[in-house]
Amino acid sequence: MNKRKNRDLIKLKGIKKVYHLGQVDVHALRGVDLVVKKGDFIAIMGPSGSGKSTLMHIMGCLDTPTDGTYILDGMEVHNLDEDNLAEIRKKKIGFVFQNFYLLPRVSTEYNVALPMIYNRVPYGERKEKALKLLEKVGLSHRIHHLPSELSGGERQRVAIARALANDPDIIFADEPTGNLDTKMGAEIMEIFKGLHKDGKTIVMVTHERYIAEYAERIIHIKDGKIEDEEEL
Amino acid sequence: MDRGFLTELIRAAIESIRINKLRAFLTTLGIIIGVTTVIAVVSVIIGVQKKVTDTFSSIGADVIYIQKYPWVMGARRKWWEIRKRKDITFTEYNALKKYSTTIKYIAPEMHSRVSLKRGNKKVEAVEITGTTHILPKINQQYVETGRFLSEDDVRYRKNVCVIGTDVAENLFPEENPVGQYLKIAGNKFLVIGILEKKGNIFGQSMDNVAVIPYTTYQKIFGSRRSITIVALAENKDEAIEEIRWILRHVRKVPEGKPDDFSINTSDALIKQWNELTRSIFLVMIVVASVALIVGGIGIMNIMLVSVTERTREIGIRKAIGAKKKEILVQFLIEAVIVSLGGGIIGILLGFLLAKLSSIFANLPFAMPIWLVLLGFLFSSLVGVFFGFYPAKKAAELNPVEALRYE
Ligand SMILES: Nc1ncnc2c1ncn2[C@@H]1O[C@H](COP(=O)(O)OP(=O)(O)OP(=O)(O)O)[C@@H](O)[C@H]1O
Ligand SMILES: [Mg+2]
Repeated sequence: MNKRKNRDLIKLKGIKKVYHLGQVDVHALRGVDLVVKKGDFIAIMGPSGSGKSTLMHIMGCLDTPTDGTYILDGMEVHNLDEDNLAEIRKKKIGFVFQNFYLLPRVSTEYNVALPMIYNRVPYGERKEKALKLLEKVGLSHRIHHLPSELSGGERQRVAIARALANDPDIIFADEPTGNLDTKMGAEIMEIFKGLHKDGKTIVMVTHERYIAEYAERIIHIKDGKIEDEEEL
Repeated sequence: MDRGFLTELIRAAIESIRINKLRAFLTTLGIIIGVTTVIAVVSVIIGVQKKVTDTFSSIGADVIYIQKYPWVMGARRKWWEIRKRKDITFTEYNALKKYSTTIKYIAPEMHSRVSLKRGNKKVEAVEITGTTHILPKINQQYVETGRFLSEDDVRYRKNVCVIGTDVAENLFPEENPVGQYLKIAGNKFLVIGILEKKGNIFGQSMDNVAVIPYTTYQKIFGSRRSITIVALAENKDEAIEEIRWILRHVRKVPEGKPDDFSINTSDALIKQWNELTRSIFLVMIVVASVALIVGGIGIMNIMLVSVTERTREIGIRKAIGAKKKEILVQFLIEAVIVSLGGGIIGILLGFLLAKLSSIFANLPFAMPIWLVLLGFLFSSLVGVFFGFYPAKKAAELNPVEALRYE
């Protein structure tokens, strides 16, 4: 496997996240230190409510930490405002969610093209790219379908194609197989495996051991802290 | 933002409106009513204005009418005092003729409505004017064929008349009336001329008339009634001041008392007309603004619902990199399209309404381009103004919470 991965893409130090629920403070993250190198494929596991999604949202610049430092590709991002974070998400990050989160009323092709619209990619170019990506996930025969006309596995493949639209550095996937049966889940994981081979950095949250084993490294998290790391 | 991107936002907005067509239409009712009101009322006022301007020019913008009663009641004047005024008579006419230095032309006018006969033909309610040979110089209405009254006609109380085209057509359908005879109140008159056609004013023909020497008029109709003195001057305002001064002397109005006569000009009518239009405009502005505000609140409401319904969508757009401004603009565009749609319907309805009223009220129709643009402007401004808060709300949504929204 490709072993040129010495560049630190993500550097987390002492990341904390506190939610204020009325009088109660919920400590979702209690000081996470983590380094993700370029080309890594990491799985995050842990019990429900342990802070996996919260950590992923912060790493994906969807959210900001209450405390701690986050250096993404050499740039401090923990203090950035929403629009700057949006710019980073647009250029560097792709998301895949358990519930797919496709726009329900537009075609497969349009869903894939959407990030390129915000990235001001010209019409012809983004159409071409969308078709190429859909081909890559094996859906070139479904470009005019609405999400409701697709199976769960197909929807997730559309979501993966969309995540790749602006050629991000990192893909974050929050339980990408959580709503899929074993066979479909395996198909999705094969796609991730391919992406990793192509050099994409992938951070994935999962509950399933066999899914996590597609990664190179498993991070175990409990009560908002990293409990254990295992190299595979 | 570049054009391609904006096109996409507009497409997204139209898509979202299409899904809730009926809801969007109901929301725009207020805007439709508001814009319809503005377009229809302004158009009708412009039409009436045209009509009125024509009328005033036929009255003669510069003609001074000296009469017992005013055309327009001022707020200070009391009608019972005006009723007690002395008649305007030839004493005043002669005094003005003798003393005025500013009046260029002056003529008396006496009026009656009688029927005219010729053989077994008859015209009802013809307006008879008794005057002098000077009148055409003042009211600018000249004869078309034949001649007008002469000084001698007046001096010798001749039974001659100049008739309007209506009278000519009704009594002399086949021949030239000039040189023929007709009967006014049982008296035989020689027709010496036909007046130029004047047409209708406020639905009434101005050509059902006959003009005779005032001396002859007095012989037939007596001279008990108050007369009208018409005058033309180089400088109207100066002349009016002088006329007042002369008349107050002749009529012995004590110092400090108000005039007991009226000097009427089209100015006073124009002023009253302007006051009337101003109050119509005011009512219209109130109605239109209430409707537009109601419409705007409707739009705000539908947009808030839309933002809530599409929280997930907003979250998705943000997750893939949409900035606050981009979300804001998307929802603003949606609000503006909805209200602009209402505006367009309002413009069409207002156009229709104005057209119908112009047909039924026999008024000229006017729909200037600025009025249509005003309709567009108003409706889109309402969209921007009332759409801003919901759009801002959408833009400010937290991405994670928006994604999680069920
Ligand atoms: N917006 C929020 N407000 C308050 N508490 C929150 C919020 N989001 C998450 N939490 C809390 O933070 C903790 C961590 O949540 P998180 O979603 O990261 O867990 P998770 O590990 O992804 O769980 P799961 O496996 O069920 O998805 C939980 O206790 C959760 O209730
Ligand atoms: Mg989670």
